[in-house]
Amino acid sequence: MTPIFKFEGIYTPVVTPFHEDRSINFEALADVVENLIDKGVHGLISGGSTGENYAMTVAERIEVAKFTYDQTKRRVPLIIGTGAMLTADSMALAMAGKDMGAEALLVATPPYAVPTERENALNALAIDKAADLPIMLYNYPGRMGVNMGEEFLDRVGRSRNFCAIKESSGDINRVHLLARDYPHIQMSCGMDDQALEFFAWGARSWVCGGSNFLPEEHVALYNACAVEGDFDKGRRIMSAMMPLMRVLEQGGKFVQTIKYGVTHAGINTGAIRPPLKGLNKDDKRALEQVVRVLKSTIAQIQAEG
Amino acid sequence: MTLLTTEEYTALAAGLDLSTNAYIDGGYRPAISGKTFETVNPATGEKLADIAACGVEDVDFAVAKAREAFDDGRWSRMHPSARKDILIRFCKLLTRNARELAVMESIDSGKTILDCETVDIPETIHCIKWHAEAIDKIYDQVAPASDDHIAMIVREPIGVVGLVLPWNFPLLMLAWKIGPALAAGCSVVVKPAMETSLTALRVAELATEAGLPRGVLNVVPGGGADVGEPIGRHMDIDMVSFTGSTATGKRFLTYAAESNAKEVVLEMGGKNPCVVLDDAENLDLVAQHVVNGAFWNMGENCSAVSRLIVHKDIKDALLDRIKDHAKHWNIGNPLDPEIRVGALVSAAHFNKVCGYLDGAPTPVIGGKSHDSAFVEPTIFEVDATDKRATDEIFGPVLSVITVDSFDQAISIANDTDYGLCASIFTANTKRAIRGARMLRAGTVTINSFGEGDIATPFGGYKQSGFGGRDNSIHAHDQYTQLKTIWIDLADDMDEAVD
Repeated sequence: MTPIFKFEGIYTPVVTPFHEDRSINFEALADVVENLIDKGVHGLISGGSTGENYAMTVAERIEVAKFTYDQTKRRVPLIIGTGAMLTADSMALAMAGKDMGAEALLVATPPYAVPTERENALNALAIDKAADLPIMLYNYPGRMGVNMGEEFLDRVGRSRNFCAIKESSGDINRVHLLARDYPHIQMSCGMDDQALEFFAWGARSWVCGGSNFLPEEHVALYNACAVEGDFDKGRRIMSAMMPLMRVLEQGGKFVQTIKYGVTHAGINTGAIRPPLKGLNKDDKRALEQVVRVLKSTIAQIQAEG
Repeated sequence: MTLLTTEEYTALAAGLDLSTNAYIDGGYRPAISGKTFETVNPATGEKLADIAACGVEDVDFAVAKAREAFDDGRWSRMHPSARKDILIRFCKLLTRNARELAVMESIDSGKTILDCETVDIPETIHCIKWHAEAIDKIYDQVAPASDDHIAMIVREPIGVVGLVLPWNFPLLMLAWKIGPALAAGCSVVVKPAMETSLTALRVAELATEAGLPRGVLNVVPGGGADVGEPIGRHMDIDMVSFTGSTATGKRFLTYAAESNAKEVVLEMGGKNPCVVLDDAENLDLVAQHVVNGAFWNMGENCSAVSRLIVHKDIKDALLDRIKDHAKHWNIGNPLDPEIRVGALVSAAHFNKVCGYLDGAPTPVIGGKSHDSAFVEPTIFEVDATDKRATDEIFGPVLSVITVDSFDQAISIANDTDYGLCASIFTANTKRAIRGARMLRAGTVTINSFGEGDIATPFGGYKQSGFGGRDNSIHAHDQYTQLKTIWIDLADDMDEAVD
């Protein structure tokens, strides 16, 4: 498969640090970006749900994306999240991404509308037409209410820009479907607790919120599975990560946990925008404990070579 | 069908949403290699789109999906009347999108919008509808056998079929093949010609919308070496139906022999004679048929009249009338509904046709070309051995050969490697029938030019093809296998072994 853009490695959906008044903290954002690049992630996503896109205006999102793009200085590719309720907003974000020089777009189902597969495909094609950039689809039925099903995937194939999909349904049958019937669409792990399974089915990238504060550990799993093809080692690393996955995917406080993880790691990401609230003391303590064990276990596995 | 203005057609063309990816397993997909090739409007030279340039791995994927669909019976074992319903619905969608398809066909191939609107699209729909209607009206047979036995002869769809199309009638040839193949219950992998892939891709999408199950109709655009040969050599394709040049058609026999001995049906070239005897009536009408036969579709037609074999006594009178009629075959922008001669399909083909204008005798009419796309309707008087009288030019070039007897006319008419179509004009019924029988061609028309219609088989003698026929119920048969089911009804062992 030779797609127009290859998504390979760890793609971090970057958190958006806020000041205590909930205005955007660009200095902290710059620190987050520098840290991620320094720690070896392979690409960044601006304006994903981990970046609290649902709590920001389109203008803010474009400002953050542009800042992030300038900060990366093209050292790693930047994907612009275009998920929005309004098609026009998604198109505006896509065009802004094109104008700033971003490498690709993340295109999601508009939330709340519950479109048919045909409507959803036409929406995605309209966003594509606005920017003509490589696209990673974002299938997240848990939040959007609908799947990007076969009809959707068949229709968006009209444009070769649709070359990847971040699969966040959690349904392993979707992994099988994508791997077998849609080999032209690169599968990207979007379900953190299934990363090992995704890699086993040929995924070459992982969009993982946790890499905001544990980049090296996520890169380690990617390297073991996708680069070295060593799934024994991969399974040990994944096993060490599972307590974190439980906290992230099954705890119901995904963004808060990740933002606190970054803060705990040394870059203050500040407040959470409403309607969400930050972690309580118990949650923080639980995360710190999980991170501590995870880091030391993975360091030990890595030290074995 | 009310025709639009040139401006309206031009606006429609500019607004078309072109499909550019392969169509496999019910959806569009780029080539696995990521490669594309450019397709241009031959009339203007402007790029229309980058089409997925598929290769062997795409063919493998398409065949695997077609096989999956065939084996699980989602189409092949669907009730005949349900298959019919879906194909009829498919025809309705084609009708609803007829204008879009006509414009797409015209800008992709150089064909005139007049022909696309009045011939290609309606005939395409008619063809698929005809085969769809036949699905639940074809009966199998019970053979004569003893009272202790029942011998059933049943048709079964042949399996996964490769359909390799020419560029001269992109939609119509698609219909000629998918109509009967789908009606029979086969799964198909279509390779459109590189020059003209657009409408086939769109039609596949409409078929899915009509309810054709995924994987049954796949369209894999690309080059001959990258897609055509892999189809020809594929071990899991049961049959190939090819329409195109004789040289390429012969290669499919090699591919079949060197792979799985798949069945091959070939519809290839023609150098079709039109014999006009000295007693032909109504030369005006004859001239109309000759001109239409020679210049329709820019002569890019395997059944085109390309050799006029005319008796010396009426030659001058007939040529005068032909010249009069040819004047109405104006040349120009294919999207102008007044135009009858559009652009040749590609610059390469234009150059090939122009090669026959260079160094030629003074033409009776025409002989000029322009813009690397347009060739005037041209008539040469030549002897029977001139290359213009022997080669398939596939352009608007008519060669006139003068004879002085019935026998000489038939002899020259048959003196060719091809045998697709022929026509004979005479007022003498006995000579007409005798001539029709003597002419070695798959279709012979008397006092007219034509190919018959959907109800009559179309195909060639000699190197024009073999293995089956397009159109008619015989086309359906070529996509089926015959199976004998022999049932023993005997009560005891002694009878059973008889």
